Amino acid sequence: MNMTSSIRATAIFMSPAALIAIFIVMPPLLYVVYTSVNGLAFSLDLYADVVASKLFRQTLITTFVISGISCFVSLVLGFVVALHLASQPARRRAILLGLVLLPLWTSILVKCFAFMVLLGREGVINSILSWAFDAHIQLPMILNRIGTLIGMINWQVPLVVLPILASLLAIDEAVYRAASIMGAKPARIFWTVTVRLSLPGVLAGLLSIFVMSLGSFMVPALLGGPKDLMLSNLVDYYSRQVLDWPRASTISVILFAISVSFAAPLALWRRSRRI
Amino acid sequence: MMPLPREERTQQVARDDSRPNGLGEDVVSAARSNRRDGSAGLVAKNRSENDPKYAIELKDISKYFGSLAALHPTKLAVNRGEFLTLLGPSGSGKSTLLNLIAGGSGPSTGSIFLDGRDITRMPPRERGIGMVFQNYALMPHMTVFENVAYPLRARHFDRSAIRAKVTEALDRVGLRGLEDRKPRQLSGGQQQRVGIARCIVYAPAIIMMDEPLGALDKNLREQMQGEIKRLHKDLGTTFIYVTHDQEEALNMSDRICLMSLGAIAQLGTPDDLYFRPRSRFVAEFIGESNIITGRVEGNGRMLVSGNETFLVPHEKRSTGSELTVMVRPERVRICGSAESVTTGENVLDGEVVGTAFVGGTTRVAIQCANGLHMTAKMMSDRLATRPAAGDQVRVCWSSIDTVTLDS
Amino acid sequence: MTDIIDDPLQRRYRAVGTALAVSVYVFLLSPLVITIPMAFGTANTLTFPPTEFSLDLFRTFFNSPGWVNPLLNSIKIALATTSLSLFAGTLAAYWLVRREFLGRALITGVIMSPLIVPSVISGLGLYLYFSYFRINSSTLSIVLGHIMVVLPFVVVMIMAGMNKLDRNLEFGAELMGAGTIRMFVTVVLPQLVPSLVSAALFAFLSSFDEFILSWFLSGPDTITLPVRMYNALNWEVSPVIAAVSTLMMALSLVVCVAAISLRKATPADG
Ligand SMILES: Nc1ncnc2c1ncn2[C@@H]1O[C@H](COP(=O)(O)OP(=O)(O)OP(=O)(O)O)[C@@H](O)[C@H]1O
Ligand SMILES: [Mg+2]
Repeated sequence: MNMTSSIRATAIFMSPAALIAIFIVMPPLLYVVYTSVNGLAFSLDLYADVVASKLFRQTLITTFVISGISCFVSLVLGFVVALHLASQPARRRAILLGLVLLPLWTSILVKCFAFMVLLGREGVINSILSWAFDAHIQLPMILNRIGTLIGMINWQVPLVVLPILASLLAIDEAVYRAASIMGAKPARIFWTVTVRLSLPGVLAGLLSIFVMSLGSFMVPALLGGPKDLMLSNLVDYYSRQVLDWPRASTISVILFAISVSFAAPLALWRRSRRI
Repeated sequence: MMPLPREERTQQVARDDSRPNGLGEDVVSAARSNRRDGSAGLVAKNRSENDPKYAIELKDISKYFGSLAALHPTKLAVNRGEFLTLLGPSGSGKSTLLNLIAGGSGPSTGSIFLDGRDITRMPPRERGIGMVFQNYALMPHMTVFENVAYPLRARHFDRSAIRAKVTEALDRVGLRGLEDRKPRQLSGGQQQRVGIARCIVYAPAIIMMDEPLGALDKNLREQMQGEIKRLHKDLGTTFIYVTHDQEEALNMSDRICLMSLGAIAQLGTPDDLYFRPRSRFVAEFIGESNIITGRVEGNGRMLVSGNETFLVPHEKRSTGSELTVMVRPERVRICGSAESVTTGENVLDGEVVGTAFVGGTTRVAIQCANGLHMTAKMMSDRLATRPAAGDQVRVCWSSIDTVTLDS
Repeated sequence: MTDIIDDPLQRRYRAVGTALAVSVYVFLLSPLVITIPMAFGTANTLTFPPTEFSLDLFRTFFNSPGWVNPLLNSIKIALATTSLSLFAGTLAAYWLVRREFLGRALITGVIMSPLIVPSVISGLGLYLYFSYFRINSSTLSIVLGHIMVVLPFVVVMIMAGMNKLDRNLEFGAELMGAGTIRMFVTVVLPQLVPSLVSAALFAFLSSFDEFILSWFLSGPDTITLPVRMYNALNWEVSPVIAAVSTLMMALSLVVCVAAISLRKATPADG
């Protein structure tokens, strides 16, 4: 079969997607960059300004702290779930996987609303605690860091489960049998086989949820307090409330650069593994 | 945690045990003195149950998957130092049997004794058995050295002992110098040598191999057969070997356990199975055979179709009962019409319907006058002197080469 | 069963693992489970568990134009997004899987880029870009934005489906003289139906649930359901939101169940 196909056929099959790529996907990014450097005047003043601003620095740190903590916790929880799924017979695994996929495909807005109800000052958990201890308990669990983290972890866990599960299922079952016949105890097998061989999935999952969490918007906006704003919220703040488009664009470009610097190794690494 | 007393007992018993077999007495004792603790059971024997006669004894073990009997209740005793091969067609229960001994899963009924000790419900890691897998089952992320060191690390050997033992094991399988390679940088044969090295390195009481050469090509397979046989001789360990290749089984084994449909069809030496197959299944599975059915006539004769009578070994069965006998093709001669026939020989006229020249031997198919279809195997002659299709010939075979089969 | 090898060590690890896993399942599902009973509570208070059950909240929802209009907008936008991205995505996925051509890596990279570009950036960029053409706040602008983020999902799903097809069938059809397009329509598309349906379902769901782009692009007349919901959550947590959430979850459930049963129906799927 001729792999280098005719230009005409390629044009027919690829042109809709190419048009979308050229006229919808690329321009916004270019536009943001263009706006951030003050158009053709090309000045980096805004960048210097933004980087010097206290609000930006604070938000940058918050972004990394929230993303880092939530990704780490999600990874641990996701690993627990993936391990459990991998040890189940295929039928039951499919059902349990459904329980993981359903939250994955449920809107974050829905989950934020539910957490407001669950974690609010008069929410379900506080009510239960009040009832249990016969006192009026109002633990602050939303509009602060805890609420943000809970919300973030809740949507990240399903995302990290899938790649880990894939690499756990790819482990040859005979390797486990061999290890236990050779005298290894479960703990040793867990570290030397399970954990070691699932590292590719762990790394892929971790990087991808980290990149996604850097751009999170809804969870900090709805479940966080003023101190939990992340870079996306800052972009939103400058563009919709202050109406300072250039500044919003500048922060966007910085956020983009950060995201790419974490996503690129992932992409390269995936490609190198495929070959 | 494991109940500690048992482990202590295990260790103690292991120390004062004088085992006739094993990876050379010196290596075994060195292995023991190097153990820092008794956390992982090496070979454990229990003197309290008298001197055990067998390395492995299976008492009526069976394995059912739902209603499917992967293994019917089976008795099997493996002698010390023996090379026992489990042979049989696919799905006959060979791997199931091996897996029960290894402890991959427990039997549905029955019990398993290792050196007289009941290990039926013991987790695999405490059994002290070694196993080599068809697809190697090496740790893909570890080097050859780490792979071979794995069982020793699990037993908490110290560094220098590990280095010495791994080196010795790699020497034995001819892999010195490849310590730092990863399994995927090795050929299939080399990977299987790693599998063998990591199995012999901890001197297990029993070494089991499940179609270890199944993934290798023919030449390499023959070479490795020789090496495994030599290894068995050197170590003196009990080997249980699984294959579905009859030549491999005949070549390597002290005894063969031929399995069919989850049960033992026949257990015996290669000679037994080849020259005295008990059933039609055994006769047809091992080597080639001419099966002749008829009825007992008494007086060392049987009646077959076409009212022909054949001389057969003396038969205790009553006259008129059904009889099935077998003659190996290489025992069937094609003789010229002039040739005289000695007493005790059966003779049939027939026509050659086909020949197959397969190198050293030629197989000749003959349609006999009484409707019987016989195959004869002979040393190859040149084309001009080989029988050809259409030739009228006489076939003859001796009654002493005729084997009576059960039912 | 008698044929289990009882290994206390192993059993303990498994028990701990299962207990941990169950608590994570509970954590993942609790937000979904909690909204449903609330949706069937009464209209005036947001309590859990509700003391009375009724369909009041759903009635309120469907009777207020402030909620129904966004719902209709979202459905309209999701349908348009789904059909357009499925069209472009299927053609592209086929070509990307089967052929080698100049610029293949580049165009793949661009199409897939929304997977890693934070949505806020796309939202802001699209807003600025569409302002230039003065099509901001239009349904068209939202549809175009949604296509941008939905297309990568569609392409990935169809490519996965393509990879399971036997290319010899296509080769055979071409040997018999079918042109590329005829071959695509008569040989490839029929086999791709399960992938197409699940891609369509997920495209619809992603567009329907999409928030950030709509947040930047929608105007007073083109507000979508998630934007309306976000506003509601920001200003007053009204009980109607429980009903909205339940509707959105029902949609997710339908899509998931349909996708899973489709996967079962495809024998090629391992
Ligand atoms: N885990 C299992 N669940 C259900 N049935 C099984 C299982 N393992 C094995 N069997 C069945 O038990 C029978 C014996 O299988 P076994 O693997 O022991 O055969 P084998 O002799 O090793 O064959 P092969 O030469 O193909 O390896 C087969 O019919 C198989 O389908
Ligand atoms: Mg087998």
